[in-house]
Amino acid sequence: MPGKLSFKNTFSALEQAMNIAKQRHSLISGNISNSQTPDYRPKEIDFKTAMARALNSGQKIKTAKTDPRHIDVGTNSISGVEPFEEKGDWNGYNWVNIDREMTKLLENNSRYKMAAEMLLRRVSILKEVIREGGR
Amino acid sequence: MDLFSTFDISASGLYAQRKRMDVIAENLANMETTRTENGGPYRRKMVVMKAEGSKSFDEILAVQSEGVKIDELVEDTSPFRKVYNPGHPDAGKDGYLLMPNIDLIVETTNMLMARRAFEANVAAMKITKQMAVKALEIGR
Repeated sequence: MPGKLSFKNTFSALEQAMNIAKQRHSLISGNISNSQTPDYRPKEIDFKTAMARALNSGQKIKTAKTDPRHIDVGTNSISGVEPFEEKGDWNGYNWVNIDREMTKLLENNSRYKMAAEMLLRRVSILKEVIREGGR
Repeated sequence: MDLFSTFDISASGLYAQRKRMDVIAENLANMETTRTENGGPYRRKMVVMKAEGSKSFDEILAVQSEGVKIDELVEDTSPFRKVYNPGHPDAGKDGYLLMPNIDLIVETTNMLMARRAFEANVAAMKITKQMAVKALEIGR
């Protein structure tokens, strides 16, 4: 994690965690909806790698600028992690292991909830500070 | 990419499985059908599913998660069942009647699989909803 774990950094780290969990959830949902698709290979992103990448790289989308007056597109909602095809066993139909996908779904949901809960508590700390400071 | 596109992915799964159920129901209803428009007994139908990526700009930029769609509706080319029934008006000269190539057990198994897959999609959708609700809590 770059820099100190400041209040602001924690915020953005938690935001990234939620973002990645959301993307991963989307992939898992896709895998589940394709559980009966012939020859389908489930897709997956590695949470740790994605998180490391999101924290180390800037969050700006890099676009080609042909004029100095061009401005940045803004923050990136994409952590830039390419999904890879998950290794699985051939079940006679495709490579999706539905039990695994359902477990991943729950596990990922917990991660998301955890990050969201942490964020909520951060906000309540902030509120507390503001309230106490205003006395 | 927002959570709403994830709803679409699960919805595509629900739709595909429901469509599959329709086809299975059609097969079961036509288990004894010996007359069709094309002549001959009813041929068993099946759906072929295909993974389909989202078309939205945001989705193409971001992580590609794929929904599912019914690619085509195909007919089972396996031979018809032969049943000895000389009294039937559609029976051949040898007394054998060609019946649809539908196996009750195969259809029931497929029905079960479609149901389970449907349920899995519903579970995924519920979790998407939970996530969306949790995200809304932050804004409170």
